[in-house]
Amino acid sequence: MTGFSRIQPPVYPFDARMDIPVRTLTLGNGTAVFIIEAGTEEIMRIEFVFRAGMIKEDLPLLATSANMMLTEGSQSYTAEELNGILDYYGIFLNMSAERDNAGLTVYFLNSHLEKVLELLVEILFRPLFPAKELGILMNKRLNWFRINREKVQNIAGDRFFESVFGSHHPYGRQVQEADFGVIIPSLLKDFHSKLYRPEKMTMIVSGKIPVSAADSFEKYFGGLRSMEVYTEESKARITGGPGKKFHIEKKGAIQTAIRIGSATITKRHPDYPGMKFLNVLLGGYFGSRLMKNIREDKGFTYGIHSSVSSYDLSGYFLVSTEVGRENAARAVDEIYRELQLLRSVPAGSNELEIVRNYMAGEMVRMFDGPFAIAESFKAVWEFGLDFNYFTGIMKTIRTITPDEVMELAKKYCNSEDFYQITAG
Amino acid sequence: MIDFSRFRLENGLRVIVHKDSSTPLVAMNLLYDVGSRDEDPSLTGIAHLFEHLMYCGTKSIPEYDLPLQLAGGENNAFTSNDITNYYLTLPSGNAETAFWLESDRMLEPGFTRKKLDVQKSVVTEEFKQRYLNQPYGDAMLLLRPLAYSTHPYRWPTIGMDISHIENVTLDDARHFFLSHYTPGNAILALTGNIEPEKAFELAAKWFGTIPTRTRRERFLPAEPIQTEERKLTVERDIPTHALYKTWHMGSRLSSEYHAFDLLTDLLAGGESGRLHNRLVRERNLFSEINAYITSDIDPGLVVITGRLLRGTNIFKADDAVNEVIDELKDTDVSIYELEKVKNRFESSNVLSNTSILNKAMNLAVCELLGDPGIVNREVADFRAVSAEMVRETATRFLTPANCSTLYYLSSGKEQK
Repeated sequence: MTGFSRIQPPVYPFDARMDIPVRTLTLGNGTAVFIIEAGTEEIMRIEFVFRAGMIKEDLPLLATSANMMLTEGSQSYTAEELNGILDYYGIFLNMSAERDNAGLTVYFLNSHLEKVLELLVEILFRPLFPAKELGILMNKRLNWFRINREKVQNIAGDRFFESVFGSHHPYGRQVQEADFGVIIPSLLKDFHSKLYRPEKMTMIVSGKIPVSAADSFEKYFGGLRSMEVYTEESKARITGGPGKKFHIEKKGAIQTAIRIGSATITKRHPDYPGMKFLNVLLGGYFGSRLMKNIREDKGFTYGIHSSVSSYDLSGYFLVSTEVGRENAARAVDEIYRELQLLRSVPAGSNELEIVRNYMAGEMVRMFDGPFAIAESFKAVWEFGLDFNYFTGIMKTIRTITPDEVMELAKKYCNSEDFYQITAG
Repeated sequence: MIDFSRFRLENGLRVIVHKDSSTPLVAMNLLYDVGSRDEDPSLTGIAHLFEHLMYCGTKSIPEYDLPLQLAGGENNAFTSNDITNYYLTLPSGNAETAFWLESDRMLEPGFTRKKLDVQKSVVTEEFKQRYLNQPYGDAMLLLRPLAYSTHPYRWPTIGMDISHIENVTLDDARHFFLSHYTPGNAILALTGNIEPEKAFELAAKWFGTIPTRTRRERFLPAEPIQTEERKLTVERDIPTHALYKTWHMGSRLSSEYHAFDLLTDLLAGGESGRLHNRLVRERNLFSEINAYITSDIDPGLVVITGRLLRGTNIFKADDAVNEVIDELKDTDVSIYELEKVKNRFESSNVLSNTSILNKAMNLAVCELLGDPGIVNREVADFRAVSAEMVRETATRFLTPANCSTLYYLSSGKEQK
């Protein structure tokens, strides 16, 4: 080498900018609109959210099917027309129905704002759920279902949620092949009229937003009202299933899927930021303990991850991986050994430093650009929280001590609470 | 419009910078002009395995990820038939850390026998997880050698066979590095919150001292023109039949490239594509069907993949696809439909440019094609495709003699 030594450049402290202003608007009918103004391209993103997730369904597949059928025909357009017009205007539409919430997200060029809103009134509030299109959708979903039943990661994952949340709770209920024949248009219409109500809608708008946008929102949505309908709160209770260890034999599988974990606290709990930290250290990034041990040292797997995640009613803690069949038992032992270490030995300060900086970098990325900020906003808004949650996470990232991490592990990561599912 | 500046170091490294001050981050994309097409047919999969070895640390930086994480950064990489691409993002104040890390492993990677062995088993597990232990997972492994007899696109990036990965020696890996990971064979693109002058200065400082090495010349056998329809039938324990069809197309820089791109959008862009409307909605033959181009640098493939509804006869499904293809040759596409796919393309282009990482990747790939300015012409080039061009391209290329078909059948009794 000539002339200069390759000394590591200095690392400077950095912080995510979280003082992003979120403007709030209430339309004439009560619809809440949150506006995040940022970005350089003439493009917008609007997410429409309803409390219409699986938690609200009495039958499996109802929430997801109602959601996916929204673009399959409305009072003014057939399914083919509607999808053709969406494509003609270059409107990208992502449907989503999760455990608690459901809705959709659109991305479009600003010049098409009025057209987009006109189409969304049709999609969200005037869908017809035609039987023919429902048949096509159910055929496709049944096919996906059958294919997923062949994958060890799906077999183990579904069984994990069933064990943790209970086979009768919408968070844990497994779909059966017979469920696909039950869904008919009237069930979807009923679900839709109860839960996709304009007054209960929330809009999260982000991007480079034209000044006239607020007037347009009022024009298309502000006057919409729904009929009074009676809705009943779900009575389902979360109760973990009996037995903790299950193996599901899958003939011909050459890998075994492993899922180990339990229910845990939700995002609203004061220990949650600490658990997010613990999770990253254990299995939440490429340099995590599980990756180092089970992938980089032993070569058992292409990837191993842990996650701490939260639904409205419960959180969960989960370690997941797929390993060669012959290494499954050793991989399971190593996972428990890592958890034991977490409970009994305080982490070194160097390791904590890496996790602190990695997570701080993640926070910068979570607030980079209007669409990322909108997603971060939704992630706290749906729990009744605000950006202060992220300020709290930042504080935890900067200050959590090795002993505090160990105490969290003792409190929330006890092997006797864990469900252990293997499939393969 | 993505404005950019270019610069070339004496050792041959090409550097491109696009400043975007709306972000607190910098994205770095380091593209090596080597992919699975450059592999020896007896040692396929080594380009991708080598990507794993680049993460094994060096003499001066024992762990690649550690200092990057300390600087708040994140990285990943992928290998394709054409390129091996490393990319990272980090807070702009720590951009120099990225230069230090990437230049260090371009200078000299530090893999050992033990690390090679571990990565061989990691890649073997990846092979199993993604290709062997998934329903339909081996379809592309079967389709490539059916469509290509000669060109190295006939094998997939993961490798032709697990044994090739198992056979890679330390010497093979060293040799691969010396032949392909030279500064002259690499393109460094930077986007985000960084001044071009600063980026050039840092590139010169960190990459400038890496010695020039002779890159191995590329002599790839051209794929002979296919003159006869090819068909392959396999049976697997899967829930329903699947149909895969490919046709050879022009290279990335051929004059018909955008016509092919547009043509597959007509067939399957969005929810209103012709294949979906005709074969899923109207005729109830498939549960889903898709079409795309492989976008390879050398002549690539137009691909159609579809999953049949239970009870549908595979030949009937194949005939129905061919009818939709023939329509492209017989009738001009309407102005409305043409405008639809063009609008959609433009919209997705604007959306993709909201990400500094996408911009960095696109700039690097376009530089590899010879001109980063291609990124700014993509929409205009796509818009320039006319109805006649679509018809001509379909007529010339989407012929039975140029087609390979894979019948991927379910062995389940319910199907019979």
